[in-house]
Amino acid sequence: MTIPHNASRSADRDHSDSASRSPAVEMRGITRRFGAVQALRGVNLSLARGEVLGLLGDNGAGKSTLTKILSGALTPGSGEIMIDGQSRHFSSPRDAQEAGVHMVYQDLSLCGSIDVAGNLFMGREPIRHVFGLPLLDTKTMHTRAREMLQGLGVVIRDTYARVDGLSGGQRQAIAIARAAAFSPRVLILDEPTAALAVMEVEAVLSLITKLRDQGVTIILITHRLQDLFHVCDRIAVIRDGVVAAERRIGDTTIGELVDLIVGERFHARSAH
Amino acid sequence: MPGPHTEHLTMSHKPTHRREIRLFHRLALQFEKQPGLASVLCLLLVCVLTFSFCAPSFFSLTNFLTILRQNAAAFISATSMTLVITTGGIDLSVGAVAAFSGITMAGLATFWHVPPVFALGGALLAGTAAGTANGLLVTRVGMAPFIVTLASMSVFRGLSLLTAQGYSLPLPEGASLLEWPGRGWLGPVPVPAIILLLCVVAGSVTLHRTRFGRYVTGIGSNEEGVRRTGVNVRRVCLVVYALSGLAAALSGILMTGRLGSASSNIGVGFELDVIAAVVLGGTSLTGGYGSVIGSALGILTLACLKNGLILAHVSPFLTQIFTGLITIGAIWINMSLKGRDFFGIRKSSHGI
Repeated sequence: MTIPHNASRSADRDHSDSASRSPAVEMRGITRRFGAVQALRGVNLSLARGEVLGLLGDNGAGKSTLTKILSGALTPGSGEIMIDGQSRHFSSPRDAQEAGVHMVYQDLSLCGSIDVAGNLFMGREPIRHVFGLPLLDTKTMHTRAREMLQGLGVVIRDTYARVDGLSGGQRQAIAIARAAAFSPRVLILDEPTAALAVMEVEAVLSLITKLRDQGVTIILITHRLQDLFHVCDRIAVIRDGVVAAERRIGDTTIGELVDLIVGERFHARSAH
Repeated sequence: MPGPHTEHLTMSHKPTHRREIRLFHRLALQFEKQPGLASVLCLLLVCVLTFSFCAPSFFSLTNFLTILRQNAAAFISATSMTLVITTGGIDLSVGAVAAFSGITMAGLATFWHVPPVFALGGALLAGTAAGTANGLLVTRVGMAPFIVTLASMSVFRGLSLLTAQGYSLPLPEGASLLEWPGRGWLGPVPVPAIILLLCVVAGSVTLHRTRFGRYVTGIGSNEEGVRRTGVNVRRVCLVVYALSGLAAALSGILMTGRLGSASSNIGVGFELDVIAAVVLGGTSLTGGYGSVIGSALGILTLACLKNGLILAHVSPFLTQIFTGLITIGAIWINMSLKGRDFFGIRKSSHGI
């Protein structure tokens, strides 16, 4: 698996000059409190277009609160979110999706008893009219589903197969492909490689690379630190509700990342 | 033959999909998707064959049409119940709502001298309103469908008794339109048979061929997931319960028309027969998968069983016992078929 150089990426698809000059995502001073717990204490984070950012942090550090705020599932206590230089207020996931921010949840949100194509088109199924009745255009659905999966290099031969019969990696690929079909500007992936077989991790990582090459800005949450070195440009470590550290991927090591997540020199090095 | 489930996610760019899936493969997939359909079909065949030998009058067109006429209401309610159960819900109030709608129809025509067409419309409206009330409590208040419909069953049965003061209300003379859906004939075909056929076809098309049906299935499978894709999950559920009320009203109209009078005691235990048939037809009681055709076959099987046992001069007390035992047996078979492929080999489970 080869990872294309930054320079070879297509810079922009459909954005004006002003949009391409400003960061794809900029979060300033984001705070959020749950009762007595101050989950976020003023997060500042910005991502360039087509950048892959690895978001790290121990359980409870605030990374999932931050991504939920960015994807509209939670509203921030204070702070500002800018997408392509425009200030945005998301009060629902719908708002975020309209601004081009999509999230693939760890539980994938797929329907096990529905086939692959049905899941890819859930909520926006193509329709054809038969005697004036709006019926599902399953033929178009399956044809386009195959094209979508092929375009992303995902091999699932049978789009008629039920999703609950597929492997974890195949399901992950379907969930990512579904989000990718909305032509997102920003894609948040929550633990996409957790509990996958080795081959499947490789496949999901190259799917991420492929999306990045199409100019999608990606935030990757993962506990598998070795994955970050395959796909990420930069790492941000969240600790105690703030961005504790940011590193270019070339300037860091797994050992340093573990220290940054835990917040002290850590000698056992369990992640090696 | 490599099945669809042995494929692994690979990133190679070799030619990927077979353009057409072979017929046999599709058949096997269909079987995998609808394991209940195969078993209920077998059960129906066994019933029909057995009774054709045991009871000489069983296997005839007249008897078949009789079975359809007597059970048309059950077919209609089973169709809507399939939708409700596929969302992961349940509607226990269909029998009471059927009675309430019948009473409404007869009451409108007898006491208020409303023209028959409007009496029919009033009955349908009453049923739809009852279903909508159930749906609002389930979707807006967030109460469990079992509790909501158990309570409304009691309310609507009580309302029927209160309205009719415990008597049955005969349909007025000269209002044959009110009886027509339940006992009319179009040439050689009974009207209720036509209505039930239309309902089953419409229900099946709705569940399997429309966006709405897709969301009904999706909600039963992963409600939160469907909500995240932007579908108005609450509205879909509300419409499902409203449809269930509408179908219950239609069932009530048919039952009332067949009897010639509206009774507050029609359809006692009706909901349980309908639910048994729906589950017999392979619909998952936990939601996420449903088959309207399966439910219709379920009703037909139970109806043939009752009818055949009577024609074979078996004690009517035994009929209930047989019905119950066969339901358990059939569902047992369904459960052991689930998770197996066309050849009965257990599939590896990835869980979900």
